[in-house]
Amino acid sequence: MVELIALNKAEIKYSTVQNWYPGDKEGKGGVFNFVTKRGLCEAHAKISWTQVETGSAVTWKYPSCILKGDYSVGEFFSVAVTNNFQQADTGTKMVHLGKHTKSTIISKGISAGHSQNSYRGLVQIQKQAAHARNFSQCDSLLMGSVSGAHTFPSIECKNASAQIEHEATTSKIGEDQLFYCQQRGISEEKAISLIVNGYCKEVLNQLPMEFAVEAQKLLSISLEGSVG
Amino acid sequence: MLKITDLHASINGTEILKGLNLEIKAGEIHAIMGPNGAGKSTLASVLAGKEDYEVTSGAITFEDQDLLEMSIEERAREGVFLAFQYPVEIPGVSNVNFLKTAMNEIREHKGMPALSAKDFLRLVKEKSALVDLDASLASRAVNEGFSGGEKKRNEIFQMAMLEPKLAVLDETDSGLDIDALRIVAGGVNTLKSANNATLVITHYQRLLDHIIPDFVHVLYDGKIVKTGGKELALELEEKGYDWIKSVE
Repeated sequence: MVELIALNKAEIKYSTVQNWYPGDKEGKGGVFNFVTKRGLCEAHAKISWTQVETGSAVTWKYPSCILKGDYSVGEFFSVAVTNNFQQADTGTKMVHLGKHTKSTIISKGISAGHSQNSYRGLVQIQKQAAHARNFSQCDSLLMGSVSGAHTFPSIECKNASAQIEHEATTSKIGEDQLFYCQQRGISEEKAISLIVNGYCKEVLNQLPMEFAVEAQKLLSISLEGSVG
Repeated sequence: MLKITDLHASINGTEILKGLNLEIKAGEIHAIMGPNGAGKSTLASVLAGKEDYEVTSGAITFEDQDLLEMSIEERAREGVFLAFQYPVEIPGVSNVNFLKTAMNEIREHKGMPALSAKDFLRLVKEKSALVDLDASLASRAVNEGFSGGEKKRNEIFQMAMLEPKLAVLDETDSGLDIDALRIVAGGVNTLKSANNATLVITHYQRLLDHIIPDFVHVLYDGKIVKTGGKELALELEEKGYDWIKSVE
């Protein structure tokens, strides 16, 4: 359980790289990771959640921001990787209460093996939250033919001056991309790591330096042997 | 350097190459021309090892090794380079990072140490000038948002960086305006040496005004039906491919 409170003009950046035991190849014995993470923003405050989720058999996690103060800002950057029989159900809640509040959501899901990867999010603009803004981008990358990617975005808007944008893409790691890399002498494993890291770049860029290096390696390890 | 003997290859059960023979020696430039559907791009894909294509019979030796036994990346590391007709975009991966990874994998294969960042950047600068590629393109994501001409120049830039023994240019001229064509051809000509060879696959003669081939082959219905010098390309341009069809 994590609770953040950002008072007037305060800024909090909370970064997580999660790598709990995901279980064996069948997913047996893995950790269940059910977390509550939430934050409260007073006026002009900013809370930024950045997470890289690679572990656990089952993850349910929705780091949220209550944008109570005027001009407060909430951000959520997420990479969730699932392989074998892992399940990740993760996303965020952005509750806009104050005027001119702003939220950004960038979520990147990567599913391999038999895993299921879901984005579940809520963007809520309350009546008094005039001129609130939200931008959401949810991308899913599928590897192999038996993995699943799902997005469940909920948008509730009670103020007509709000501006809300939602973009979502689902793509498969391209055989053409792999072939191109291999034709330049890059092994398949390295090519996948390169493509996946490129795909997550916007999120990885948000991490502090030492974290980013570790996260990159973790992504490659999590996806090892998942080519199909 | 390269010897193709009685090559038969098919995709999804349809035979495209039907007994193709070709020999390329170091220092030579060969051009393959032919109408649509003759099997030009299939040949390029088979050489590179694309898995969709099945080689049903025949042999390809490259530098006295059995090319068909090698994986895609082994072929590349041994010096086979394919300049793609449609270069692929890889979002989020910078051109420089991509090339550095490729170069170091090739160097490792050859038992050479990885290049230092300084040497690598010096090389990038030197080679990108060769094809008049803006230095800012090197730091952008691989082919993402590149114009058609930039993509093709980027292919030649990569070729210059990786220094292959055999470069296969698959319709590199398609979609290029005359200036870009000249730049691309200039790059290819500069890279020519006594130790490497180039196979130019093209539909039109105009690229061969700039890259002068030693041999021109006409590919038709999966076979090479005619071989000649550079004048053959002009003859084709004048008479069209119907002439070849009727010769057969």
